[in-house]
Amino acid sequence: MKFRNMNWAPYLLLLPSFIYLMLFFAWPMVQALQLAFRRDSQILPLRAEPAVEDAAITGELERGTTVELLDVMVVETQRAGGLLSDRVFWLEVAGIDPEGERVSGWALRGDVFVADASRSSRGTVRSGVARLRAGPALDAEVIGELPQDTEVALLEWDRSGQRVAAGGLLQKPLTWLRVSAETEDGEVVEGWLERSSLSIQDTEISSTGRVQSGRGSKEWTLDYVKRMVRDARFDDAVITSILLVVLILPVQFVLAIIMALVLQSQLRFNSLFLYLYAIPLGISDLAAGLVWYTIFTQTGYLNSFLQSLGLIDRPFIFISSAHKEWIIIAIVLAEIWRATSLVMVIVVSGLQAIPRDYLEAGEVFGASLWQRLRHIILPLLKPSLQVALILRTILAFQVFAVVVAISGGDVLTVLANEAYRWYDIGSYNNKNVAAAYSGFIMLLSLGVAVLYLRTIRTQEEKEAAG
Amino acid sequence: MTTTPTTHPAPPITRVRVRDLPIEQQRAIRARRLRRAGTYAVAIAIAVWILLPIWLIGTLAFSTPADVRSYPKQIAPIPFSTDTMEFFLNAQGVLPATRNSIVVALLTLALSTAIAAPAGYAIARYFFRGRDAFRLSILAVRAFPIVILAVPLAETFRRLGMFDEVYSVALMHTALTLPTTILVVSSVFASVPRELEEAAKVFGCSAFQAFLRVALPLALPGVAASAIFTFVMSWNEVFASVVLTLENRTLPALILYNLDKSGDPFKFAGGFFMLVPSLIFIFFVRRYLFNMWGQITK
Amino acid sequence: MAEIRIENAVKTFGKVVAVNNVSLTVHDQEFVVLLGPSGCGKTTLLRAIAGLGMVDSGRIKIGDRDVTYLPPKDRNISMVFQGYAIFPHMNVFDNIAFGLKMKRTPKDEIARRVKEAAELLHIEEFLERFPSQLSGGQRQRVAVARAIAVHAEVLLMDEPLSNLDALLRLRMRAELKRLLNEIRATTIYVTHDQIEALSMGDRIAVMRNGEILQFDTPTKVYDVPADRFVAGFIGTPPMNFLEGQVRRENGTPCVMIGDFALTPIPELHEELLKRDGQPIIVGIRAENMETLNKPVPDALRVKVQVVEPLGSQNLLTIQIGRDVLKASTHPDFQVEPNQDVWIRFPGDKIRWIDRETGRTIIPDLEQFTQPQ
Repeated sequence: MKFRNMNWAPYLLLLPSFIYLMLFFAWPMVQALQLAFRRDSQILPLRAEPAVEDAAITGELERGTTVELLDVMVVETQRAGGLLSDRVFWLEVAGIDPEGERVSGWALRGDVFVADASRSSRGTVRSGVARLRAGPALDAEVIGELPQDTEVALLEWDRSGQRVAAGGLLQKPLTWLRVSAETEDGEVVEGWLERSSLSIQDTEISSTGRVQSGRGSKEWTLDYVKRMVRDARFDDAVITSILLVVLILPVQFVLAIIMALVLQSQLRFNSLFLYLYAIPLGISDLAAGLVWYTIFTQTGYLNSFLQSLGLIDRPFIFISSAHKEWIIIAIVLAEIWRATSLVMVIVVSGLQAIPRDYLEAGEVFGASLWQRLRHIILPLLKPSLQVALILRTILAFQVFAVVVAISGGDVLTVLANEAYRWYDIGSYNNKNVAAAYSGFIMLLSLGVAVLYLRTIRTQEEKEAAG
Repeated sequence: MTTTPTTHPAPPITRVRVRDLPIEQQRAIRARRLRRAGTYAVAIAIAVWILLPIWLIGTLAFSTPADVRSYPKQIAPIPFSTDTMEFFLNAQGVLPATRNSIVVALLTLALSTAIAAPAGYAIARYFFRGRDAFRLSILAVRAFPIVILAVPLAETFRRLGMFDEVYSVALMHTALTLPTTILVVSSVFASVPRELEEAAKVFGCSAFQAFLRVALPLALPGVAASAIFTFVMSWNEVFASVVLTLENRTLPALILYNLDKSGDPFKFAGGFFMLVPSLIFIFFVRRYLFNMWGQITK
Repeated sequence: MAEIRIENAVKTFGKVVAVNNVSLTVHDQEFVVLLGPSGCGKTTLLRAIAGLGMVDSGRIKIGDRDVTYLPPKDRNISMVFQGYAIFPHMNVFDNIAFGLKMKRTPKDEIARRVKEAAELLHIEEFLERFPSQLSGGQRQRVAVARAIAVHAEVLLMDEPLSNLDALLRLRMRAELKRLLNEIRATTIYVTHDQIEALSMGDRIAVMRNGEILQFDTPTKVYDVPADRFVAGFIGTPPMNFLEGQVRRENGTPCVMIGDFALTPIPELHEELLKRDGQPIIVGIRAENMETLNKPVPDALRVKVQVVEPLGSQNLLTIQIGRDVLKASTHPDFQVEPNQDVWIRFPGDKIRWIDRETGRTIIPDLEQFTQPQ
């Protein structure tokens, strides 16, 4: 195809979609892999020696781990030809790593939060002018100003103040000190100053701290995957997810075929049935879960119905950890109720593609309804059923809101629910393990899809061989 | 008689009593009637299966809060009351979340349709290298788990300062609905006969004018249907919404997040409220939903 | 015994009457063709016999069984569909075996019958192939093989040759006829091609607008068509029609074409005398007119407009009064356009058609038609 003569129009039309899909599908996929398999700033590596670039890693601590302070070293470095000097604090800390072992090593002061427990009672104003405020907050009224080198008496420490964003998400606490000082005029003023505006002698660092941030080494690691697998709820999630798929799918397919056949037989009020059968297509899994919750909850419709029939005299608690099987049943019913219409739509279009002649020939040559179904309709529906099967299975591994709506996500859990829990800020707040779960779901889906296609292909080969 | 007169006013139709027929035929007729009745029974049973839960939650949504909590539950909203719904709508965050959901859904509708329409047209009308590959990849992309996209995108949004924004949720939803919209739109355009555009071109239109004056008007119902369906999909979406939002939640995210804290009235009214758009919109687009798969199964 | 009786069958689709009170009897092992233009009801009638579309009223009997309301599978029938309806997902063997399989015939019997049918249709080497690997003609044979393998009493065929190209159609016509002579089934064959009908059927039922106009042997339908439509439908070229006027001359009727007098045969004098003074339609086939290139008595002089040398005959287009006719001559007959020829009209070959009813005037109906 000559370059100049090629019609560019289709490629131009496709470009926006292509770009969008690259941005929002391909790129996140890569990101997810990175999150799941690459160590990043959730982990702080501890080094054997302070201030040495490639010192060996003696251990790793997760963000948020409490550590014990063993030693402090201050390293001064000169910059800009001796005009500026940096004082860098290195801390030797010890803590329990994710594997449960005690490790120790050196880390930068900025990565470990340690409380300053100051014994000193005096401080000096550092560079510039320090603003005295009425209270320990940045928006408190300014009641005075102290020039550089003013000496102040430290009266009170307050570390519970505002948090200020400092580069990204990290939020450093502002420490405020209530001080009293003598101004040039000889007055004594009292107020609050930010800690950073003061130089305080003899500051002692407390003996415990917390890992605040990590220095990602960008190495490939299976730690997150291991964490995921080792979690107590992982096995439950996998088993429940697979169980749901195994229970839901066969019923859905049979029901979908029945619904499609009903629509095909063109009863009176066919368009009414069409509308009703299509309604679930627009129902979200959350709404579906809530709908079936009304039925299975303790004061719900199932109990009401059974009670009105006189089969029970007290409500039966379907949704409880003692009756996990009932929760499964409720979820299965909710999913069948909601998602069968999708399969039905695919089956209907497959049915319409079958010429009426074939069915009539079946009738003439003696096939009963069941025989027609088995020998003519189902074989010719196979392509549609295959597509539906793959799609539906992949979607089934992602059930989420239904489970949460019915049982809250604690008694029974599924893979997607676990991914959410690990991601949620209010919960584990660990995006790496969450990404690992996402990857696992996708792997499972892909694996199943490949399995299906393989099975279909070997079946076809068997048929062709006769 | 070997010949009949060439004109007849109206054919004589003699009705036959089933009882007068030989036994073999009676059985056949009865079997056929039974099968027909059975089909109706099955059809109605399935219809009830679909409608009954909706009716039940609707009943609760429109019962008094006291009735909502009662046991055994009533099966019709008597007395009819909007208290529960009002309670839900006035609950903290519900109205803003609803507004967010609508805004997100509208943005998604616009963006998704705008990007997908040209692509769908290209697939339907042009034969170009990579066409099959593209179609296949759209299908594959459709099957992707949303879970694996939501988490990394959330992180990316955080880093870019786009986290917890309505438009970023819309961006995510657009990504999710784009494949479906492309496929539907391409089958809609494919159903518009090519000759019509060719005739327009013969009679003086450029390719673009032919598209605008001929193809687009004919395809508009189908494209509109897919746009509406995109709206519903976005309205319903839960997982990505709940991962991507904190303060500016969409309605499903809000409801999900509050599930463990909320009482039954909130849940029931919320569930029903989420159902309503589906009931309405599906009515309008039901025919097109069945055409969605027309071109796709190879 | 597989005699088929249709009694007063009526089938309507909404306001359209597709089959209008049709009655028909097909003898055991007879080959009957339902012939007519599209929309005449022949396919509807066939499907009613098959059970694929129940009649609104009337009876259908096969043998001594009333099958009017029975489903197809209980009627002991077999059918070849117009589009063949060969199952694409089964190979040829399974397709042919289908009917037998549904009746739960034992496997060895199935194999025997399939082989037998395949041999009759010359498709034994295709048994393992799938329909997508076969040509149209081969698929059609599979459809026929499937139909005969079940050994049904009644064989129904819905325009089985219409999807084949002309040459293939010619070959298959002869093959089918030979084949169907061997198997002993009562056959009903639907077609719109009158050549097929004439060549294959024992009897032909010519249909129009839901009614049977004539049900007779091919020869009779050709020679003694019952009405104008049949006469014009059958035969290539179709029968010629002329406007004439009945006149009485010395107690015997004659029909005037302009100034030329035609003499009817004595058997028809009585009927024609009744129509003295009335117009009448004269029908005569192209090959029945004697065409001569020199003047003879009792011949009409006409000018030739077009000469079509067809190889086996010369077809002359001539004009008589306002009517345009075709005359057929031996290929060696020398004539040029605008030349004159002389036409003689043998009395026994003329068909007299009533102008009002369109019916052919035949003295003794029973003489020319078969008894029921």
